[in-house]
Amino acid sequence: LDLSNCSLHSVPLGLAEATTAIVLDLTENPLTALPNDSFLGFIHLQSLVLPLMLECPGGRDAWQNVTVDSSSRLCQGQRNPCNSSVELAWLCPENSVCAPDGPGLIQCLCDKPFHGYKCLREDTFPMLLFGGILGTATVSLSLLLWGTQRKKAKTP
Amino acid sequence: MAVPGSLRRQPANRGLVSHCTHHHIVVFLLTFFSYSLLHASRKTFSNVKVSISSQWTPSPLNSTASELRPYELWNSSHLFPNAEEATLFLGTLDTIFLFSYAVGLFVSGIVGDRLNLRWVLSFGMCSSALVVFSFGTLTEWLHFYNKWFYCCLWVVNGLLQSTGWPCVVAVMGNWFGKAGRGFVFGLWSACASVGNILGAFLASCVLKYGYEYAFLVTASVQFAGGVIVFFGLLTSPKEVGLPELGADEDEVSVEEDANRPLMGSDDVDDDDRNYSIQATDTDNQPKAIGFFQACCLPGVVLYSLAYACLKLVNYSFFFWLPFYLSNNFGWKEAEADQLSIWYDVGGIIGGTVQGLISDVLQKRAPVLAVSLLFAVGSLFGYSRSPNSKPINAVIMAITGFFIGGPSNMISSAISADLGRQDLVRGSSEALATVTGIVDGTGSIGAAVGQYLVSLIQENLGWMWVFYFFILMTSSTILFISPLIVREVRLLLHERRLRMLAE
Repeated sequence: LDLSNCSLHSVPLGLAEATTAIVLDLTENPLTALPNDSFLGFIHLQSLVLPLMLECPGGRDAWQNVTVDSSSRLCQGQRNPCNSSVELAWLCPENSVCAPDGPGLIQCLCDKPFHGYKCLREDTFPMLLFGGILGTATVSLSLLLWGTQRKKAKTP
Repeated sequence: MAVPGSLRRQPANRGLVSHCTHHHIVVFLLTFFSYSLLHASRKTFSNVKVSISSQWTPSPLNSTASELRPYELWNSSHLFPNAEEATLFLGTLDTIFLFSYAVGLFVSGIVGDRLNLRWVLSFGMCSSALVVFSFGTLTEWLHFYNKWFYCCLWVVNGLLQSTGWPCVVAVMGNWFGKAGRGFVFGLWSACASVGNILGAFLASCVLKYGYEYAFLVTASVQFAGGVIVFFGLLTSPKEVGLPELGADEDEVSVEEDANRPLMGSDDVDDDDRNYSIQATDTDNQPKAIGFFQACCLPGVVLYSLAYACLKLVNYSFFFWLPFYLSNNFGWKEAEADQLSIWYDVGGIIGGTVQGLISDVLQKRAPVLAVSLLFAVGSLFGYSRSPNSKPINAVIMAITGFFIGGPSNMISSAISADLGRQDLVRGSSEALATVTGIVDGTGSIGAAVGQYLVSLIQENLGWMWVFYFFILMTSSTILFISPLIVREVRLLLHERRLRMLAE
């Protein structure tokens, strides 16, 4: 995704939708600063070229290779923040695991059998089994009791 | 006909031997389990409080680091800003439920006799099941969380569930006369505790799938129970041609009271046959006692107030115990649910054993008083219980024995003793009304208590909640002290008479 020389003063609003980008070029734009979560969701981003003034998002630790030349900064090889920085990984609550969410950003996704809001739910409820057992029991008990009790009842 | 003859021949006998048609057994089991299922759905709500309050609140922000992502997974539910507000709302829901349950009880006590009991009971069970289903499962599947919707549903649920108790008591009263009441009713009144255990067990098994499935399971089982009751319940022996049990039993109790202490004399049989004709005449015109007349009966007001205090403590344990265990000791909700079963086990054993003791002594109030004194001690002990599951379970069972026992006994001793008074003998309308008054007052007390518990817990902590329970238990003893004094005096008087006779 080549956004060089587009006279951008700030991060364009549509950038958030381009999360599948692997290469992003933002050089020759009068950008002053990048907000922290501009690259939220950019997990495939491998090459990011920025104007010299800007730092690589997530800092140096988030990238394998940071090359600085005369006019631009090249951030290469996004590292998985869950493996590298330990202090971010323990933020994930119970039943969830750390997953990358962009350079230097993490998200917490539910661990294998868990799902639902806050990963509170485990597995799926055996609805058919439950319904089957309950239905059969109800019908048989009702028939049995009607036969033995109410059949002889005289309605008042 | 053989059946009425056998009843007349053994009036002084507790009458249990004659009560053995399969109809009696089925009626006992059906009423027992229908009330258990109603109670189980109430218990489900209290057992999933932790999960529900997690569902209604965003994740707590305890670190200054970034918010959790993805937003929909961790923070999208903003019904309440934090867990404390959610807890207060849950306490409010309990209070609303108990108030509408109390109002429903007062109303059901008055109109209960005009409608077909079987229709009312099965309608109450099925519609309450539908309401519980909408409350817990439908709102979660549709992701529709709204405070007013929850409140309205719970009010309706309270009104519908209140039809259960008067109906089952009335049906039991039709089938099991006053002679066999002591043991049968003592055993039968364990249905509430069995319902609690059933609800706790179901909830803890299904909780891992999500709290909405706990509601789904209890609501479906309750609905099935309503259907089975509709097809299988016989509301009175008249429906199958067996004789009504009311007439003979009334005359038996006249003789019993006249010959205190109870002795199995044979001359009762001859008198019985003479009295039975008169009994059927008076039975055709039952004296319907009005609401205010029923309130003015001796013992009703005192027992109502005492029951209000005791039911407060009992219901507070019932509603808040799992929450207390997971909040105070940090145990998982499913484990806390399973542990809270021990309280009900203690209650069942307590009710049966104390009922038997009071039957042997022929006096109820002293047994209640002794048990409540021990209850104060065990509450104190429980508040100091250590963070160990076996010890906690044991103390919990002991507390249940001493609190649940009197509670079960008062709710069955009421129908026994208050219904046997001279003023209301033979009038079944008074029985339902008196039961409605006492149980209704008890529910109001319990309702006020729920709100107070959540308020005290939030501001002062759990220790003060236990002090509040001890205060309430002592008030119960205070309210029934006139009755205790009277019965102890009677007991000593009888003992003196017996010693003089020897």
